[in-house]
Amino acid sequence: MSERLEEQRRLITLWLLRTSIGLAVFLILIGMTLFLARGAVYFPRTPSGRIDEILVHIWQGASAGQASAFMDAGILVILFTPLARLASGVVANARSRDWLYVGIGAMVMALVLIGLFSGAEGG
Amino acid sequence: MTPLAIVCLAMLGGFLGGVLGALTGLGGGIIVVPLLTLGLHLPILEAVGVSLFCVMSISVGAAPRFVGTGLSNVRVALFLQVAASAGALIGARLSHDVPARALFLIFGLVMLYNAVLSLLPSRKTEAAAESSPLAQRLKLAGRYQEGGEWYSYEVTNPLPALGIMLGAGMLSALLGIGSGVFKVMAMDKLMRLPFKVSTATSNFMIGITAATSAGYYLAHGDVPPLLAAPVILGSLGGAYLGGHWMKVLPVQQLRRVFAVVLMCVAVEMLYKGVAS
Repeated sequence: MSERLEEQRRLITLWLLRTSIGLAVFLILIGMTLFLARGAVYFPRTPSGRIDEILVHIWQGASAGQASAFMDAGILVILFTPLARLASGVVANARSRDWLYVGIGAMVMALVLIGLFSGAEGG
Repeated sequence: MTPLAIVCLAMLGGFLGGVLGALTGLGGGIIVVPLLTLGLHLPILEAVGVSLFCVMSISVGAAPRFVGTGLSNVRVALFLQVAASAGALIGARLSHDVPARALFLIFGLVMLYNAVLSLLPSRKTEAAAESSPLAQRLKLAGRYQEGGEWYSYEVTNPLPALGIMLGAGMLSALLGIGSGVFKVMAMDKLMRLPFKVSTATSNFMIGITAATSAGYYLAHGDVPPLLAAPVILGSLGGAYLGGHWMKVLPVQQLRRVFAVVLMCVAVEMLYKGVAS
């Protein structure tokens, strides 16, 4: 991999990690603040089901100002960060024509996606 | 216990997990699961679900330190991750069928193993003179930067390491731990990677392994936001501060003290497994 591509890869990875951490912390802090502002006296509902169902639940909850929806959104940001890092690695390998590691990276991504999206059916 | 007290305890647990994970290489799930099960009497599946998010947070929180240094060998990580993620999928599938007492027993044994390993004197692994043919085909050899200098290294035995990663992935999904000890052992002892490269590469891998199985726990309603959210905040903060404190604190002595504490908690987990 050329030095220019290597530097681009480094900067993108750093940006991705820092943005994800910042976004997750921001969302969780909003959720915690709302929870504390409402007296911190209840146990929020735990989401379950397929990821797409959970996303809809979070969207509806956040629109209604529910504390737990913001917490769940932060939790999902942390869950998707390793996947996003994998995806950026696959793209970087494709740009440097490292097809062997494009394939291996795609295989790992497929396994993570199977885990994420088949949870409600399996187990 | 009030919801507010639970939030505070969960955040403290995540923070301790993050700090000790960064300082000693042991931590995350090894701290959070006992805290949630023994301390807050949470069902073990929920403790495992929450703990997987602690593991991911520590991995993500520590990762920026390694980017651009070559310490994290991405090719080795991706190659081994195929087996680790496959193991995590198997472990996640099994997780809701394995009886809780068996999970307590396995967890206690893994904790004891971790504790004993950190009490034993570490022996430096001899560097490989030449990469094995498969490692050459996979271009696994690499180089890393330390103190302004670049150091090259060769890699051996990639196939046997895959087998260990399959087991490490299963344990991670079943117990909510990073299985970093097993991953580092495979890379350090079998593949002969430099120790620092092994730990940084393992840090990259534990996040992906945890993400593979976390979907199962989330789908089954085993990730309560009131616990997972403060654990994530605590872990991110702990991993960040631990990374800074490791330069000033006596890490070896801390590691030994922590190992003794781990042993006591392991006995408690084993007892719970036998008695429940």
